[in-house]
Amino acid sequence: MATIKQHIKQLLKLASTLLLLGCLSCTSTLQVEGDFPRPVIHQLPLQVAVHYQDDFRRYRYVEKSEKRSKWEINIGNAQVALFDTVLPAMFENVVQVSNIGPQENADIDLFFEPYVEEFQYNMPRETKVNMFEVWIKYNMKVYDGQGLLIADWILTAYGKTPTAFMKSEENALNEAMIIALRDVGAGLSLKFSHIPEINSWLNKHGQLQ
Amino acid sequence: MKNLFKQTSTLYLLLTLALSACTSVTIDQVKHVPSELKDGESIVVIGRRSGNDYETEPELISCIGKTLLKGNNPMNVIPEQEFVDRLYPWFEARTAPVHVWDLQRLLSFDDIAQIIDEYNVHYIVWIDGVTEKTRGGGSISCGLSPAGVSCFGFGTWDEKAEYEASVWDYRTKKLVGKVSSVADGTSYMPAIVIPIPLLAQVQSQACSAMANQLQSFFSSSQNQANE
Repeated sequence: MATIKQHIKQLLKLASTLLLLGCLSCTSTLQVEGDFPRPVIHQLPLQVAVHYQDDFRRYRYVEKSEKRSKWEINIGNAQVALFDTVLPAMFENVVQVSNIGPQENADIDLFFEPYVEEFQYNMPRETKVNMFEVWIKYNMKVYDGQGLLIADWILTAYGKTPTAFMKSEENALNEAMIIALRDVGAGLSLKFSHIPEINSWLNKHGQLQ
Repeated sequence: MKNLFKQTSTLYLLLTLALSACTSVTIDQVKHVPSELKDGESIVVIGRRSGNDYETEPELISCIGKTLLKGNNPMNVIPEQEFVDRLYPWFEARTAPVHVWDLQRLLSFDDIAQIIDEYNVHYIVWIDGVTEKTRGGGSISCGLSPAGVSCFGFGTWDEKAEYEASVWDYRTKKLVGKVSSVADGTSYMPAIVIPIPLLAQVQSQACSAMANQLQSFFSSSQNQANE
């Protein structure tokens, strides 16, 4: 009888150790996925080349703080999908290039290069509101056809989604991410012509109606 | 023994029915001009998402939309996500028109006017509000016993669902009126071995009350405007 009790105790110890080890290495991974609608906006008759750096294409946020849950959020594919939807609605012709500067067999008016400066998120347990929140700070750069910098500005994106019964953290965070990406798409498509340097360039090249 | 089981079950059922019914709803309406939805015309119900510390729940908007599609006076309701996607980026949280006169600015862009005309939209209903927990009390503790996990205790919490609908006439670009709905309810969770949630359906009560009021708002028989 005593031997059986000892076995049970050992098994319980083993199970609790495994559980503890398992939880310590728990990392939630989120591959952000979603569809983006094409904006309904005035299209500029320009040939634009977009350059996505590898860091941008594969952008991944890894939570390093010891005080927070471990999260790995892969945004690269989703943000490339957003810009691939928004830019062709903004400009008559959009191509992807591997470098900024005069291109062979292509007459490019502008080069566009987005870059993620900063990413932050909040989980409901970390704030007083029952909300998943996401902030992304983008640095947008626009160059002329010769590769000279015309404009360089910051565009912030914000997305939030409320907690809901039976909604997983992954789904809620994904929703907040998609809303933030839609927000950057809205900001870019509606404010592009209002950036002073771009407005001046468009005026100079007779592109503003 | 069988009788005792029956009595206990009946007691639980009565307790459940009695306690889960603790929700009260208050509806208020103000109408500035008469409103009527004619055959073939549509309405769109959209949630306001510009609040800093809350967000009108998409489930509530979808619930109101689905309820308006049913009943004695069913309406053509355009699903929120479909409308917002078709008109991207003009109805996003930070870009949506805040005042009814902002519609005029939007419609100066032909493509937007054309899409809204395709849907034959007459009214745009903006819902703003949230369901939140206002008070909580009690405690439940769970532990491991030879029979398995068992819980004991009692928990209770109050919820308040407060929403306001602003009805815009897309044709005249005027605010037609407002409908507000406030639902309060108390939920209970007694735990004797297993927790038994007795939930007050605060949000769904607010949804059906708001939808019913909107149906009468647009019906021709209720076409008196409060001057």
